[in-house]
Amino acid sequence: MLFSTTEAHEKLRKEIREFAEAEVKPIAFMLDQENEFPHEVVAKMAKKGWMGIPFPKEYGGMGLDNVSYSIAVEELSRVDGGTGVILSAHSSLCLWPIFAYGNEKQKQKYLVPLCKGEKIGAFGLTEPDAGSDAGGTKTTADPEGDYYILNGNKIFITNAGPAETYVVFAMTQPGKGTRGISAFIVEKGWEGFTFGDHYDKLGIRSSATCELIFNNVKVPKENLLGQEGEGFRIAMATLDGGRIGIASQAMGIAQGAYEEALTYAKERIQFGKAIGFQQSIANKLADMATKIRCARYLCYSAAVQKDAHVPYAMEAAMAKLFCGDLAVEVATEAVQIFGGTGYLKGMPVERMYRDAKITQIYEGTQEIQRTVIASYIVGKPPKETTAASKPKNNAITGERKKEIFKEGSAKDKVNALVTALMKDGYDFSVGIDLNTPIVDADRVVSVGKGIGEKKNMELVKELAKNVGAALGSSRPVAESLRYLPLNRYVGMSGQKFVGNLYIAVGISGAGQHLKGIKNATTIVAINNNANAAIFANCDYGIVGDLFEIVPLLSKALNTGEKKAMEQVKKIKRATPKKLPPVNKHFVCLGCGYEYDPELGDEDGAVSPGTIFENVPDTWICPDCGEEKSQFIPER
Amino acid sequence: MHQVRKVTEDIVWVGANEHRLALFENIHPLTTGVSYNSYLLLDEKTVLFDTVDWAVCRQYLENVDYVLNGRELDYLVINHLEPDHAASMDEIILRYPKVKIISTEKAFMMMSQFGFDVVDRFIEVKEGDTYNFGKHTVAFVEAPMVHWPEAMVTLDVTDGVLFSADAFGSFIALDGVLFADEVDFDRDYLDEARRYLTNIVGKYGPQVQHLIGKAAPLLPQVKFIAPLHGPVWRKNFDYIIGKYDKWSKYEPEVDGVLVIYASMYGNTESVAVSLASKLREKGIKDVKVRDVSNTHVSWLVSETFKYSHVVLASVTYNLGMYPLIHNYLQDLKALNVQNRTFAVIENGTWAPQAGDKIREFLDNELKQMTVLSDEVTINSSMSETTGAVELDRLADSIVESFKQ
Repeated sequence: MLFSTTEAHEKLRKEIREFAEAEVKPIAFMLDQENEFPHEVVAKMAKKGWMGIPFPKEYGGMGLDNVSYSIAVEELSRVDGGTGVILSAHSSLCLWPIFAYGNEKQKQKYLVPLCKGEKIGAFGLTEPDAGSDAGGTKTTADPEGDYYILNGNKIFITNAGPAETYVVFAMTQPGKGTRGISAFIVEKGWEGFTFGDHYDKLGIRSSATCELIFNNVKVPKENLLGQEGEGFRIAMATLDGGRIGIASQAMGIAQGAYEEALTYAKERIQFGKAIGFQQSIANKLADMATKIRCARYLCYSAAVQKDAHVPYAMEAAMAKLFCGDLAVEVATEAVQIFGGTGYLKGMPVERMYRDAKITQIYEGTQEIQRTVIASYIVGKPPKETTAASKPKNNAITGERKKEIFKEGSAKDKVNALVTALMKDGYDFSVGIDLNTPIVDADRVVSVGKGIGEKKNMELVKELAKNVGAALGSSRPVAESLRYLPLNRYVGMSGQKFVGNLYIAVGISGAGQHLKGIKNATTIVAINNNANAAIFANCDYGIVGDLFEIVPLLSKALNTGEKKAMEQVKKIKRATPKKLPPVNKHFVCLGCGYEYDPELGDEDGAVSPGTIFENVPDTWICPDCGEEKSQFIPER
Repeated sequence: MHQVRKVTEDIVWVGANEHRLALFENIHPLTTGVSYNSYLLLDEKTVLFDTVDWAVCRQYLENVDYVLNGRELDYLVINHLEPDHAASMDEIILRYPKVKIISTEKAFMMMSQFGFDVVDRFIEVKEGDTYNFGKHTVAFVEAPMVHWPEAMVTLDVTDGVLFSADAFGSFIALDGVLFADEVDFDRDYLDEARRYLTNIVGKYGPQVQHLIGKAAPLLPQVKFIAPLHGPVWRKNFDYIIGKYDKWSKYEPEVDGVLVIYASMYGNTESVAVSLASKLREKGIKDVKVRDVSNTHVSWLVSETFKYSHVVLASVTYNLGMYPLIHNYLQDLKALNVQNRTFAVIENGTWAPQAGDKIREFLDNELKQMTVLSDEVTINSSMSETTGAVELDRLADSIVESFKQ
């Protein structure tokens, strides 16, 4: 077995190296200083076909393997890490998920121009509260007619700005964690899709990085990538492949820094000879060369496994982990060899030193790489079954925003509430009759015992009028106080509210009341007790005296005579189809016992998380004693 | 009086019908009986393929005796050792003491467990072995866990008869029928064939698929499929194999809705039937309503295999779902049913809980069941002003889910 790339690989390497030396190297310092994206370089790469190296020719790609792709990222990064990541993010993170999960129409529309490099691609997963833990995704995509309405923001997005096509992840089933995430193809220029400021980064400053902001962006349903709820799986599979790209980038940076240091060490004379011949420097260079060789083979072997369609996620994580650490180590030692000279701007090693650091952070931090690798070695920890360890969701009304306005005066809070409601699309120039049956009502203003004397009901009636809502109440207000007829109290045993906007005034939120409003689109709470259950079950809340808040809110929403509201249009959440398990179950031909990798077989010393292929050959069926070879996969 | 029919010139059906048994496997109700099929080959040697349940042994012995017409019985091939087919082998051995038993190693082990003494007359065969009886040659194909581990199927290569054991079997006594094309199978037999297969073999979908895969290359040689229950197939193989393929892949046969309700005083029933009306009104062509309390679960299981959608409407009982609904769900779990879309309606007078419990079971205990997010809660009863809007919404949601 000869560990070697092919002639074609080396021909491609030579071509890209010459290109990088001629086109990128002369401007690398300028790009770094100016924080500038190399538009012309990317355009030239597109002409050469390099923006679609590992994708089939029928989709405009070069039809080459992943080693070729790895070489391309490596060679660009050898000269400029920023340019390297442009190609890596484009290919691995945008083209690949469309190639792997897109339907034919999506591929023709998006993959072809991306492969040809007519367009640049990007990937939007990370959020302020969802870094390593994608389950915290807050960006939402709500179905509405033929569209999903996208709201939220994505941070640290590589290629953001120059990219035309974005693979974006958003919650379609809030509260379901990673199972509620779906993937979408989003185009630059769509209404409501804007960018934040370009980040001022430590390194890779030639790559564009900024925030994506989605404000009611209408994404056509045909732009759903894969199926609903499959997003997390798509993201994880994409990152598996992306790690080969980042490993290649890191390895390229290390190679570049090493070569700079080697050349310098041969030129720089101290104590009468080139410092490269001083043992202390020679040893550094020997270490660098050795580790770079390790890194390269780790990287290429993961790429080869990907091409061969054998599992490669662990190997890709190992490559990324090793190469990332190596890039930082080699760049640090390269600066050391350059001494004071290396500490100056304008020296490539100074730039490489800064560029290297990111490879330990993105595409999964080094810590996450270890988690991934460990999961393949020791398996996943067994499912926690104790009640205490289950994530608690105390909200009876389901997943809610729970945004409590606390800033400023009562007026400020009311204004913040009104702004939030308008942003959600509520139109207060229209309304319904005060006496609309609760079940038919689009909006209800509901009052609790906090209202006090009967004369205060006028306040609430006024508010209902200005909201354009029907009037409802809690059970005691109708049953004990008798301020309203019995058919107007809301709750599990009373009327159920299934419309859009529910404003609870002076209602503490008894369980049976909350059950009656769990299908409301938006719940607003106004109550003077910050600990009232209603606040854990609302989308927006104001803690304050209702006698102060209600008149202010009335005034803010007073638009004179309300126009009649059209047919109630309720935002309905689709139910995503369940996904089959990632790891196949196997069944015994001797008795029908089913091996579930999630559970393993503790009595047989197979730890949970062990895929069937990794179960020892000596293992036997725990129920009937058949050998492992007598198992067949479930379809 | 003997009751026999010819499958081919040399192969004769010598089985028997069972009309007096109330519960098949002592659990699944029989309404139109069942047949136990056995086949006798007359060649240079005489060969019997499987036997019958002890209950119909007398008729069976008469049939065998008539067809043998004084000849010795040389071989008995046991494709499946379950007692509804093998119980009479003891009696066969007593009457034909020279008979040799041909079967698999596992069947041999089980014979001794059941108390059949075959040590001196046993011939063990394995996957791919063949045996010659003169003009006829047969080949053996192992069929483990369809639905017992010892099972095999035997192909008579000469006449193209596949002795398929329990595969392709059905409830309903034959009563003179032999071939599936003599009856309106789709109209009169399919429901009972499905009920038989899904309740008995439902759990073993992957194993059935495994067998279908192995048998595929042999199919061009097969002219008859001769199961151990129900009629013999000599036409329309695509039809019945297509059904088996769907059942064993847990794919629904029809786009339609099965509404199963548990109602104590008629209020939940009223809502369930109202939903069925709405669904039909909205253009769903196939909607079946079943009362869980008076429909044996074997029909519910069978119809769950048939339909793409299931609505469960349950009262709350002891702060949980209705016990019979729970029993039904347990059966679905045991039988590995998957890939269906469910909708849930709960009723409760003071603390409705059935919905959450059903949803939890569907989510956590069953595989790939999609549960529609719209859910209807009935508080004791439903009227135009209490819950009708939600019921409409649920109906819309079900109709919508057909489009996905």
